Amino acid sequence: MSALLRELRLLARDRAALALLAVALLAAAVAVASGLAEVRQQRAQLAALADADRREREAVAAQQADWGSAAYYTFHLTGAPPSAFAFAALGLREHGPWQHRVRMLALEGQIHEPDAGQPEVAVLGRFDYAFVAATLAPLLAILLLHGLAAGERAAGRHDLLVATARSGTRLWLLRAGLRIALLAVALLLPLAVGSMLEGTAGAVALVAAALVTAHLLFWALLCRWLDRDGATPPSTQLMQGVGAWLLLAVVAPAAIAAVAERRHPLPEGAAILMAQREAVNAAWDLPKAATMQAFVARHPEWAAHAEVQRPFEWKWYFAFQQVGDEAAAPLSQAHREGRAARARTAATLAWLAPPAALERQLEALAGTDATAALAYETAVRDFHASLRQWYYPRLFRDLPYAGDELAQRPTFTPPPG
Amino acid sequence: MAPALEADALTIVRGGQPALRGVSFAVRPGEVHALLGGNGAGKSTTLLAFLGFLAPAQGSVRVEGADVGADPAHARRRIAYLPENAALYGHLDAYENLGYFLGLAGLRAGRGAIDAALDRVALAAAARTRRLEAYSKGMRQKVAIALALLRETPILLLDEPTSGLDPVAIDEFNRLLRELAGAGRSVLMVTHDVYGACQVADRIGLLRDGALVGRFEATPGARIDTEAVHAAFVARETA
Repeated sequence: MSALLRELRLLARDRAALALLAVALLAAAVAVASGLAEVRQQRAQLAALADADRREREAVAAQQADWGSAAYYTFHLTGAPPSAFAFAALGLREHGPWQHRVRMLALEGQIHEPDAGQPEVAVLGRFDYAFVAATLAPLLAILLLHGLAAGERAAGRHDLLVATARSGTRLWLLRAGLRIALLAVALLLPLAVGSMLEGTAGAVALVAAALVTAHLLFWALLCRWLDRDGATPPSTQLMQGVGAWLLLAVVAPAAIAAVAERRHPLPEGAAILMAQREAVNAAWDLPKAATMQAFVARHPEWAAHAEVQRPFEWKWYFAFQQVGDEAAAPLSQAHREGRAARARTAATLAWLAPPAALERQLEALAGTDATAALAYETAVRDFHASLRQWYYPRLFRDLPYAGDELAQRPTFTPPPG
Repeated sequence: MAPALEADALTIVRGGQPALRGVSFAVRPGEVHALLGGNGAGKSTTLLAFLGFLAPAQGSVRVEGADVGADPAHARRRIAYLPENAALYGHLDAYENLGYFLGLAGLRAGRGAIDAALDRVALAAAARTRRLEAYSKGMRQKVAIALALLRETPILLLDEPTSGLDPVAIDEFNRLLRELAGAGRSVLMVTHDVYGACQVADRIGLLRDGALVGRFEATPGARIDTEAVHAAFVARETA
């Protein structure tokens, strides 16, 4: 304990080290504050939209006189509210859709229309806690820990220190341990405050803290290894450490994403949109019987009600919407499977680069990764399917309109966060 | 009683070249032993071997009879080391530096004990609360000497201890060394300073190219003859 206090007092007089620790604390605090502001804005947006959505549905329902119009004119809000840990790792919530307003029309176009999202954010990334912990913290660790022994040698104190301390190894380990512990505190304190404010589950916060600490230990071990003989000049060690940082924290994550993308090519969202819209638009030019035959082939339960007698019938209209979805289904399926495969490949390769692994793990804890995005999309598809199940008996059996039944329509349930 | 320090046929290789070649000598308890020699003669290498920083290629080094290679921590516990141009922490004052290094050795000293040590090395009281980065080389050396005194180890290894000290301070330092030896502490110092070594040392070894090439010993009532040592030193260096 006295050795720790002695080294702590020495460190407390080292202005450069204190400045680096202050930068770590500030960066983590800003990242947490920014993440908290973002998720609160997203929640507020969802809450405001939910209220508007409910009022609009009531207004639309009051104006309709048949099931088809009610289905056509009504929007349904779907959204995945951010988890209690999303503030720390915004992940795909930054540039992927996390809310939609879906109608009973063909779904694929509605899902993939916002795929373009915010391409500039997708490229630049965001200054969130995961970025600070995965990318910035290693650099601060290198600056704090490089050349602990060699620096003393360059200053002419090495031999006196080791001769006085009796064991150089114990001294350097104590100094490195103290510095990395203080860096961890500087990084984890804002995270703890953010977790308390958000009500993050204790287990999630603890796992995140353990991951951040393990990541810092990796960089501490790297610095110790670079300084193993205490003879390589500190400036050389700094260059070696920064080189490793560039490789593992900057180049490797980009390379991992590039490898995953190259290995698992995806159809573009626009191609899915186009396939679905072409099928839908083509239906206007086809004989109605041709559309209904295609529909009934996949949904034989409606065969007895598939005859279209009037120039326009809602069941025909919604049937060709679904036929349009089914025309785009192979592309859509390939898109989903490709995204999942990319995520798996990237997750495997990320173990080669600890910063990439940390970022992925934090996003998984936060529910902002590809798995969470796909789960939300699946929930939207399930909801849309349930809307069809609710409306189709009324449309195909031509049941009399009863506006008060609209209150029984399915409601969207977000996937568990 | 085992010698305080003992080198036996000590050979050290540094960078593929022999830095010491079969050096043998011993330092008795209460003795001031000086190693004289020019640059690269192997003086500092000898000290580093006693601290366990350099392993013998052949021969052995022992501290109070214990092999340094087998137990370097014992050697470092029994020795206070004063490196040449001792660089302490420039952003700390004398008290803070001494407190830190004493703590590193597992020791504690109150302000009174530290002041007493700084008085013995004649560091001005007004300077003691100033950061060492504002000190002259000689003042820094005095703080380092004070550290060696405060550790109260039975053995002192001093590498060019009077480097940077003014003549008055050198005289005071030499008197201090004799006091310490009189109190039973053993001193091994390496130096270029023939005059200073003859003033203070009980025995002198002359190193050249890693080999011990001359030995001189004081006799009761008479210090070592400076002119004889100087002549040998110059002759060896110019040979």
